[in-house]
Amino acid sequence: MTAAGAHWGVGCYEGDTGRVAWEISHDEIQREMGAAPGRLARLGVGAGSRVLFCSMLSEAGQFWPLMVGAMLAGAQLSSADANEGEAARVAMFTRRLPYDAVLGVTPALLDGLDGLRVPYRDVFGGVRVVGARPGAYERLAAAGLAPHRFVLAGPAVAIGAEPGGPAHVDEQEWRVDLDGDVVCVTNLRPRATTFERTRTAVRARLAGGGIVPSAGREP
Amino acid sequence: MNLPPADSPYFSPAEETMPRERIEELQLELLLEMLPHAYEHAPVIRAAWEAAGVTPRDVRTVDDFRERVPFVDKDALRRFRDERGDPFGGLCAVPPAELTAVNSTSGTTGDPTLVPEQWGAGGRPAVITRDFWGMGVRPGDHVALVLFTFRGPVYGLFQGLGTVPVLFDFDPAEMPRLCELSLRYRPRALYNFGSVLVHAVRDACERRGLDPADVFSSYRAVVYAGEPLGPRARALAQEWGVELFEHTGVGDVTAAFECHAHDGLHFWEDTALVECVEPDGRTPVPDGARGELVATTLFNRVAPLVRYRSDDIVRVTRAPCRCGRTHARMWPIGRKGDEVVVQGRPVLPVDVWGAVESVDACAMGLFQVIRPGPQADRLRLRVGYAPAWDGRLGTVGDEVRAAVEAATGIVPDVELVPDAALLRLGPPHKIPRVAPR
Repeated sequence: MTAAGAHWGVGCYEGDTGRVAWEISHDEIQREMGAAPGRLARLGVGAGSRVLFCSMLSEAGQFWPLMVGAMLAGAQLSSADANEGEAARVAMFTRRLPYDAVLGVTPALLDGLDGLRVPYRDVFGGVRVVGARPGAYERLAAAGLAPHRFVLAGPAVAIGAEPGGPAHVDEQEWRVDLDGDVVCVTNLRPRATTFERTRTAVRARLAGGGIVPSAGREP
Repeated sequence: MNLPPADSPYFSPAEETMPRERIEELQLELLLEMLPHAYEHAPVIRAAWEAAGVTPRDVRTVDDFRERVPFVDKDALRRFRDERGDPFGGLCAVPPAELTAVNSTSGTTGDPTLVPEQWGAGGRPAVITRDFWGMGVRPGDHVALVLFTFRGPVYGLFQGLGTVPVLFDFDPAEMPRLCELSLRYRPRALYNFGSVLVHAVRDACERRGLDPADVFSSYRAVVYAGEPLGPRARALAQEWGVELFEHTGVGDVTAAFECHAHDGLHFWEDTALVECVEPDGRTPVPDGARGELVATTLFNRVAPLVRYRSDDIVRVTRAPCRCGRTHARMWPIGRKGDEVVVQGRPVLPVDVWGAVESVDACAMGLFQVIRPGPQADRLRLRVGYAPAWDGRLGTVGDEVRAAVEAATGIVPDVELVPDAALLRLGPPHKIPRVAPR
């Protein structure tokens, strides 16, 4: 399904053969903003919470609805790039202020912390919800933390409701299935870009209605 | 948003071209509203004023302000933060629970400091909109944004203008995508570019058989920021037909952009009162002379910086610009804390930049001046080189030494490191150009 109307922007997702540009409408962003407070509430994020989003600008189409959702829910937000060079900034945020959630932690950020010789526990140990992407999830778990799965399945954001659990997309918006072990996404409501079993960079199995990425894969 | 006619050169004609007397009246009016608020609610400002024995009642004119009000600087904020346990360094002037966001400064000069924000808190003129409108950006245009996220969602400013942002990471690896999507969407402006990205675009075009002039043919403005564009990168961009616009922050208070006249960077004086003072004193320098930029916000009631010494060495003029705007302009020169005096000669990174970049192996212009203190017996440089030159480092070192000597009269000690080692030092749009060791 394709929606007409002015575009919110042109974002980017990781497809199975590389980065893919996707056009995003204002309507779909508005819908996802509306749904985001409910998704965040399932993580216990709401009024009075503080959330640090670790993302790259090209991922704004995926992250912006969550950021606005956090704001609409009465939470405060902070932002850092999700790359190695920003590890010091992420560590600075959690050192200076209490955070209820840090969402979008990447392997690159953890590489940066390793380079700074800062233990993961020092940065994330006091954070109730750490949403870690594939590759980072396993490293945090190995360090004794209890991360939630946080997966960008192409244009769709999947978040685990509890530590160790599968990551769920917004099922009003997306259907997820597999082609082999490749996660494919289909949009269920009109979007500026149509996704019809579109292959993403995520390799996973499906369990409990959600995504469990294959260990060691870093889309 | 009420938009002017598309052929208007100004987004807010009345504000952008207001007579100097009106600018100064408005600044005083806004200043006299801001100062009591900052004094009452921003603890670091209150502490500085109490130490100086000044209260807002002592300020009735801009001259009073210049004579009596104390300066603050980043060290004062960090000291307040560390001594008082206030994460905002005493600058947050609203109850922290009322903040929408907490973002951070770039951290180029050390640990980033927190920036408290309250989105939707009125009063801030859409200054970036004025600048991009002046560059020729109009509703419906695509705009390529090549940015980091630590400043928050800057793309909202462009969506507010009715443009469609095409989003890229500030990363050389994104430049092939930038080229491809520039050909597909034909954006009108790019924000923001830098030397490293210029070279990455050249490499991407060479690999893909693209003509950079075609890639950039739709752009009316390419904005660069963070640090100066070296002569080599500038020449490349100009060879591609790109009109470059410099952009810089103004003391963490507002921003400044070049206009089509390319004769200094405008800062909007209805958002900030900017002074230019002797770098080691408090005496104002005349228009056109080098001095330190000192900025006071006229709109930000959440983090009200007052007489903030930026450490930036600039020249400022209040003469009207050829573009018709009446607001002041500045020319960034360097950072006060970056200067090192070697054998009696002051050296800033900008003094060696072109020399380093002129050496083929070092074309990315990545280098650091080693500055253990304000004075040094030797000029020591850490210089990045491209991987292809790995086997010829003796020659590269000789070339760098010769080029820097020709530019400064000083033969430097040169440590060569791979470009990647310096790029990792980010923040992404710039590396620290000075290092203590």
